[in-house]
Amino acid sequence: MNQDKRIIVGVYHLNKKLGKHFSLEDINLQVANGEFVFLVGPSGAGKSTLLRLLYMDNMPDSGQIVVGPYISTRIKRNTVPSLRRMVGIVFQDFRLIEDRTVFENVALALKVTGAGMREIKRQVTDILTRVALYHKRYEFPPALSGGEQQRVAIARAVVNRPAVLLADEPTGNLDPTATKNVLELLFKVNAGGTAVLMATHDIDLVRSFGQRIIYLEEGRLVRDKEMIYTGDLRERIDDSRVSKRAERMKDLDITGGKGE
Amino acid sequence: MNLNRIRYMFGESWIMLNRRLGAAVISVFIMGLSLLILVIFLLLTLNIAVMIDRASEELRIFVYIEDGIGRDRSQEIQLSLLGMNGVEEVVFVSKSEALTTFKEALGEESDLLDALERNPLPDAYKLKMQHDMMRSDELERLAGQIEEWDGVEEVRYGEKWFERGEKFVKGFYVVDLVLGLIIFLSVIFVISNTVRLTILYRRKTIDVVKLVGAPSSYIRMPFIIEGAIQGIVAALLALGLGFLVYYFAHRYFPGITFFQLEAALLFVLFCAVLGAVVSYMAMRRFIRI
Ligand SMILES: Nc1ncnc2c1ncn2[C@@H]1O[C@H](COP(=O)(O)OP(=O)(O)OP(=O)(O)O)[C@@H](O)[C@H]1O
Ligand SMILES: [Mg+2]
Repeated sequence: MNQDKRIIVGVYHLNKKLGKHFSLEDINLQVANGEFVFLVGPSGAGKSTLLRLLYMDNMPDSGQIVVGPYISTRIKRNTVPSLRRMVGIVFQDFRLIEDRTVFENVALALKVTGAGMREIKRQVTDILTRVALYHKRYEFPPALSGGEQQRVAIARAVVNRPAVLLADEPTGNLDPTATKNVLELLFKVNAGGTAVLMATHDIDLVRSFGQRIIYLEEGRLVRDKEMIYTGDLRERIDDSRVSKRAERMKDLDITGGKGE
Repeated sequence: MNLNRIRYMFGESWIMLNRRLGAAVISVFIMGLSLLILVIFLLLTLNIAVMIDRASEELRIFVYIEDGIGRDRSQEIQLSLLGMNGVEEVVFVSKSEALTTFKEALGEESDLLDALERNPLPDAYKLKMQHDMMRSDELERLAGQIEEWDGVEEVRYGEKWFERGEKFVKGFYVVDLVLGLIIFLSVIFVISNTVRLTILYRRKTIDVVKLVGAPSSYIRMPFIIEGAIQGIVAALLALGLGFLVYYFAHRYFPGITFFQLEAALLFVLFCAVLGAVVSYMAMRRFIRI
């Protein structure tokens, strides 16, 4: 029971068929409170599909997804919004509303919770300051660089302090500098206690950080951290370097990994 | 319903209208013009209905009295007429009054009547009927009944004309209704397409609002309000333009009328509801969670 409490995202025997040719098969994974996890896999592996299932934009064919107190097999359609509020979501294409200012874009996430104007102003000011974009609060998204837009998107995703942040290729459209900024920001968000699950196809980008990495291929979870599910990937994925961060993460690791 | 929520819903509609004012103006204009067609149609219907009403209002039944039945019997007849169901007013027209009227009607030719030794016209009672009695079967029944009375020579009300008029009115209303329905459906078609375009443009906004966890009422309401506002403005535009049309037509047809205030308000309300409903229908497809 005590251990369950620390799991913020749980996926159990998840199956999902999409179209004729693709399906996620028997996915099992757990993410602990405050953990940082990379979800890595080639294009078409099913990363976006898995994330979409996590914020229940799509429902499993079988199996179960548990996010905080919400369980996919029991959730009602009108409770999905509450789930979404404890999950921040960030995409490759930012998904900002173009005819609204930076401030309004971020404020929207609080407005829909019924927050008051003062509260909104305080929180948005705070988060924009933290992503170093307060001075651009009156700009419209098209006037910002890609990196700045993504920081606005992250600010919007975390302004109401979600327990989990799901990021689907958040650096996919960014140059190396902006990529670095966004990753640092995600680590910062994570340091604040939010669990982060970031999908990317760029193994090289993430393997140096020493975070837990989950590998997805053709709809199957092939490797979770150092646990190798299929042997043929061993050569390709060699990230046994241990960083200080990974050391710290070990305490949170509830996947049964033996450490590195 | 807390205050923040209401503020959010109206605030969002305001932002949406405001940030795309050009597009909002254009779509309201399109809606307004198509509503103008409906307004003009309703004005025509209204005025024709008023004309028909006036015509039937002016219709009188003439009960002709036999010559020489005496004052008492004549008064009895008047009282009986007054006591009848559906009779609103009874006016005595003496034979001399009738002759004067007749002469006036003849004009120049009235000299011919001077040749007459004595007035050939009978005394008569002129009946004004209640509005709901203005149907040929009712009138026929009534006339038949009165004709039976002692001292009554004849009852006339222009039966042939009345029946023809009645048929025409019925035909008119059928055509009018069908035409009205067609215009109404076209207006709804135009409006729902205009609103659908607006919502299509807002697809991304809807996706974002869903993503940040807005309850469905938070997603829907701003659009419903936006639709209602567009409906109201379009209705006012249509009524304004309709009034201009009326104003100029009034010079040539001084008898015509415009909508009463209540009817105009009802029209505005109707358009508000129409805008809201159409908006709701258009976005229903997008907000499935
Ligand atoms: N709605 C759908 N209907 C049918 N097939 C779909 C649908 N959505 C996704 N797919 C298929 O599912 C597979 C996985 O797609 P997904 O977007 O999850 O991959 P991904 O790992 O996110 O890839 P990328 O790195 O390119 O974003 C793809 O083959 C895709 O064609
Ligand atoms: Mg993807």
